[in-house]
Amino acid sequence: MKQESQVVEMSEDSEGLWEKAREAGISRRTFLALMAAGGAAAVLAACGSEKDDSVQLSDVPVAGIVLPPTDASVVPTACDYCVVGCGYKVYTWLVGREGGTAANENALGVDYPVAGLSGKWISSNMQNIVEIDGTPHHVLVIPDGDTEVVNRGGDHSVRGGTLAQKLYSPDKPTKDRLQHPKLRIGEAFVDIPWDDAIELVGDLSKYVLDKYGEMAWGMKQFSYQYYENTYALTKLARKSVGTPVWAPHDKPAAGADTPGLSDAGINAYSAAYQDWFDADVIFISGATLYETKSILFNEWVARGQATLIVVNPRRDFTAAYAEKRGGLHLQVTPGTDTVLNNAIAREIIRKNWEDTEFIAERTVSESDLAGESGWRRQEFGLTFEGYKDFLLSDDTYTVANAERITGVPAAKIRKAAEIMARPRSGGSRPKTSIMLEKGNYWAHNYPNTASLAALGLVVGAGGRPGQMQSRAGGHQRGMISAAGYAKDKSPDSYKGNTIELNVDRWVVEGNVRFMYVIGTTWMTAMGASQDLAAHVKRLSRETGPSITRSDAFDSAGRLNVERVKDLLKAKVDANGMVLVLQEIYPNIVSQFADFMLPAATWGEDDFARMQGERRLRIYSQIMTPPGEAKPDWWIVAQIAKRMGFSGYDWQNSNDVFEEAAERSKGTVHDYAELVKMAQSQGKRAHEFLRELGTTGIQCPIKLEDGKLVGTKHLHQDSFGTASGKAIFPRGDWNDVKEFQEKEGPQGDELWVTNMRVNEHWQSQFDDLRIPYRWERFPSNFLEINAKDAESRGIESGDWVRVENDRVATQNGGRYAASFRAVAYVTDMVPKGVTCSYFLHNQGQLDMAANSVTSGETDPINNRYRFKLGKGRVSKTGESEFKGTMSFAPRNLA
Amino acid sequence: MAENSVDDITRRSFLKQAGIAGGVAAGILAFPKAAQVVEAVRPGVQRVTRSYPKVRIARLDALQTKQPLDFVYPLAQHRSFLVKLGEEASDGIGPDGDIVAFSYICSHMGCPLIEQYQSAHNVIGPCTCHYSTFDLTKNGILVLGQATQSLPQVVLETDGSHVFAIGVAGLVYGHSNNLEGGVPVKPLGESS
Repeated sequence: MKQESQVVEMSEDSEGLWEKAREAGISRRTFLALMAAGGAAAVLAACGSEKDDSVQLSDVPVAGIVLPPTDASVVPTACDYCVVGCGYKVYTWLVGREGGTAANENALGVDYPVAGLSGKWISSNMQNIVEIDGTPHHVLVIPDGDTEVVNRGGDHSVRGGTLAQKLYSPDKPTKDRLQHPKLRIGEAFVDIPWDDAIELVGDLSKYVLDKYGEMAWGMKQFSYQYYENTYALTKLARKSVGTPVWAPHDKPAAGADTPGLSDAGINAYSAAYQDWFDADVIFISGATLYETKSILFNEWVARGQATLIVVNPRRDFTAAYAEKRGGLHLQVTPGTDTVLNNAIAREIIRKNWEDTEFIAERTVSESDLAGESGWRRQEFGLTFEGYKDFLLSDDTYTVANAERITGVPAAKIRKAAEIMARPRSGGSRPKTSIMLEKGNYWAHNYPNTASLAALGLVVGAGGRPGQMQSRAGGHQRGMISAAGYAKDKSPDSYKGNTIELNVDRWVVEGNVRFMYVIGTTWMTAMGASQDLAAHVKRLSRETGPSITRSDAFDSAGRLNVERVKDLLKAKVDANGMVLVLQEIYPNIVSQFADFMLPAATWGEDDFARMQGERRLRIYSQIMTPPGEAKPDWWIVAQIAKRMGFSGYDWQNSNDVFEEAAERSKGTVHDYAELVKMAQSQGKRAHEFLRELGTTGIQCPIKLEDGKLVGTKHLHQDSFGTASGKAIFPRGDWNDVKEFQEKEGPQGDELWVTNMRVNEHWQSQFDDLRIPYRWERFPSNFLEINAKDAESRGIESGDWVRVENDRVATQNGGRYAASFRAVAYVTDMVPKGVTCSYFLHNQGQLDMAANSVTSGETDPINNRYRFKLGKGRVSKTGESEFKGTMSFAPRNLA
Repeated sequence: MAENSVDDITRRSFLKQAGIAGGVAAGILAFPKAAQVVEAVRPGVQRVTRSYPKVRIARLDALQTKQPLDFVYPLAQHRSFLVKLGEEASDGIGPDGDIVAFSYICSHMGCPLIEQYQSAHNVIGPCTCHYSTFDLTKNGILVLGQATQSLPQVVLETDGSHVFAIGVAGLVYGHSNNLEGGVPVKPLGESS
C-alpha cells in the first residue's frame, strides 16, 4: 500500500449501490442523504473515479478517536480535582466496538463532527483503555454537555478534561500505582498479604495506644477525599482512639481555615455560583481564580457583569483580566492584606458609604455580642461602632500609611472603596461580594480573614443574593468527621485558651510513636519541610532496630509476623515512631514509612461529597482498584476491628455514606433527608444520588412537602452566631507586624511566595503521570521579575537555588533550607517577589518550596504562613528544560 | 485503533511513529477519490485507507516575519494559518526553522483563534471563549488555559521554494477523525 495513514475495517452487509458507495468510503447516513438529494446519480458521482497515482498524498498519520457505541454503559460522576467539581459522564464499552458519526449511531447522540461549544467533543485525552472485569474497555470521561449547573454546556478545565488519563492502566504512566500492602525491609519494601498487614499495623497501633496512650497515636489525613473515607478515618482517630494528635493534609492542626469568617458568623461556602454571576463587584482576595477555579471563573464570574478587584502580589491572568475590563489589581506586598482591607474599610466609613441598613438589621449590638461564647469572639468580636472606633483610632489604616505598608497606591485604595461601596445616584448600592482564598488566609491567617470579613460586612456582603462572602475553595468538601475534635486534650493554648494541637511540633518533639498518614505528602505540604522531614526520618528510620530480610522471613520464605511485631514494638519502646502510609502512589513520605497500604481512588468505588457551592453528587465507580488496592474506608475498618473497636462492619461504601448522614445533621453537609428518602423507597442512598446525576443537590437538604429541597445560599435569614447577627471581627496588623518585620526579606533576599498553576493539581500525583499536563511544567519553577533576574545573571530555563539559612523550625530553632527550581522570568511578579509551585512532588525534598516557609505557626490557631517565605536566589546552571519548556507570558488577558 | 492514534503530547516525534489511527469509515461528500484506497483484506472485510493531501501553501520568499497567512486544511472548513515566527520553532521549516502552521480552531471547545496571534510573544490566544493561549514555538503547547490537547499543528515541508502542507498533528476540534465530516482540500496533481 502506498498510503498507510488510516486503516478501518468493516464488514459488508449489502449489495448494489450501497455496496459501491460503501467501497468508496461513504457512510450509510451520507448514502441515504445522497439518495434523497439526487438518487443513484448523486451516489455514483460521490463514488468518483478510480485511484490516480499522480496525485500527491502524504504518509502523516491521521488522528482520530473512537466514538462510544449506542449501547455503551454510562454513569454520572464529577471531577476529582478542584473545588468547582464539574459534572462529567463516563462511558465504557468493549474494545473492538465503536459507534458511528451519525447521532443515532453513537452514545452521545450527536452528529460528528460537532460544532464549536457543543460540549460534546471528545479530545484524545478524554479517552483511555482500562480493564473492567478483566477485559479491555474503552473509557470516555467527558464533561456533561447537557448540564445547566456548574460547568454549563460542558465547559471544563485542562485538569478535568484529562480525567480519563488518571485511570489505572498497566501500559501507561499510571502503572506505578500501589497495588499490594508493603512492609519496609531495610531500604526496600516487600509485598505482604493484607491479612499480615492488618495484623501487624493493628497490633502495633493497639500496642502504642495501650502502653503510651492516645497522645502518642497520631493521624494525618486528607480532608476531602470523599465522605465515606473521611468518616471512617475520623471514626478511628477521633472517636475510637480519641486523639487530639490529628490534622488534615493542609495544616498542622485541626480547626477553621478562615477563622475571621467563622467569627463573623459566615460559613466559608455560603455562596451559590449564581451569586458571583449576579454580583456587581467582586473583591477577590488571594485567589488565582482563572488558574485554580477555572470553570467558576469562566462560567460564573467572566459571564457575569461584575467589576473585579483582585488582591494579589502577582499580576496573574485574573488580575490582568480585571484591569483590562475596568476593575483593579491591588498588587500588595506579601502579607499586608490586613492593612489593605482595613484601609479600604476606613475609607468607606470616612465617606459614609457603609451599608447602614444592612449593618443595623444584620449585625450585632452590644447586647448581642455579650451573649456570644467562645474565646475568639470575645477577644476579637466587635459591633460596627466598636469596629469603626478601632479603624479610626489607628493611623496605621490611613490611606497614606496603607500605601507605604502595602505598596498599593493610595489612589487605587480610594478607587477600590468607591467601586465597592459608593451609592449610585438614586441611592442604590452596588451589589458587592467578597471572595477569598489561600493568598489571603495562608499569610497572616487570623487578621487577614477577620479584616476581610469585616470589610465585607461594611459593604453589606453576606447572606444576600449577589452579596455574599465565600471562599473560592481549594479541594472539594469531602469531610464529615465521625466525632468532634478532642480539644480538651490538647496542650496548646493562646492567652490561656486551649487551641488545637500543632501535630508537626508534637511529632518533632518526639511525642508520637504511631503515625498513620493517609493521602498526603505531609512534610512538603507543611512549613520548614526539610527540617520536619529530618525529624520524621530520625524517629522513623534512625531510632530503634530496623527489620532485615532474615528477621522478616523464615527459611521457607514465609513472613515471620511475630518477629516483625517484636521489632516494631522495640522501635517504639526506644522512642521511635512507626509510620504507616496509606496512598495510591508512593510519595515523599514513602522514604520514612514502615508500611505502605494501597488505597483505591476516584472511579474505583462509589463515593460522594459536595463541591464549592455545596452541591452533593455521586462519584461513580468505573472499575475495580488495581491489584489488591482497597478503599480507605475498608482499610481503616480492618485496622479498627483488629484493635478491638466495634462499629466498623460496613459491607460497602454506601453503608458508610448512610451512617455518616447522622453526623452531617445540622451542618452545611446535611444530607440526612436524602438518606431517609432513599431508604423509604427501598434504594441505597448512593443509588438515589446517582439518579440525581451531575446536578446533584445543594446541601443542607431539607424536606418540604414530601420533596427534597436543596439550599442555594446560606445565611439568608441568619448568620452563624448566637444572635443570628453578624459580628465584626477585629483583624489587627499590630498583632502580626513583628513577624512580618522579623521574617520579611533583608538585604539581597527576595520574598518567596507560592501558588498552584492551572495545569497541575496540588501535589501533582496525577500530573506526574499525565504527560500532556506534566509537559507544561516538568520541573518545579520560580517566577522572578526581569530586574531581579538580570542583576543575578538569571535567564528563563536556568536552574536557580533559593536559600535561607535561618528558617524557623517547629520547635523554636532555626535551620538552613534551600530548594531548587527552574527560573521563569516574568512580569507576573514584581521586583522583590518570587513565586514557586507550592507543592512540587518528584519524590525530592530538594524541590520543596515550603522548606523556606517558617515552621513557626500563627499563635492564635497554629497556622503556617505558607505565602511568606523568603530567600536568596542564585543561578546554579542551565537546566535541561531551557529549550523545551514554554516560558511565554501566562497573563495575557 | 485509537490507542495508536497520534497522541499530541508526543508530537515532537510523531513523524517517527507508525501511528495508525482508527475510526468508523464515515462517508464524506465528494471525498477526493485519490485520497483513499479501498481493498479487500479478507473475505467480507474491507480496508479503507485515507491520507492527507499534499497542498502548496506559499512561496518561501514571499513570507514576511510575524505576518500570518491564512489557508484551509485539511478540510475545506478548517481555517489554518502559516507564520514565519522569526525564531526557531519545534518542527519549524525553512532556512531558519521558524516557519510553522496551526489550526485556528481552539482545541478546548472549538472557538476560532482568528486575529489572536500575538507577535511579541509568538503565541496565539487568549481564545475569546475560555482564554486558552498556545505557544507557537513549542508545537502549540498550552501556555495557559483549558485545552486538553495542544493546538493542532499543520505538518509542513518545503522543496526550497515553496511550503507544502502534508498533514495535521493532533485531532482537530469537533472531529472524530481529521479527514471525516467535510470536503478535503484538493491534493496537488488532482484535476479539478
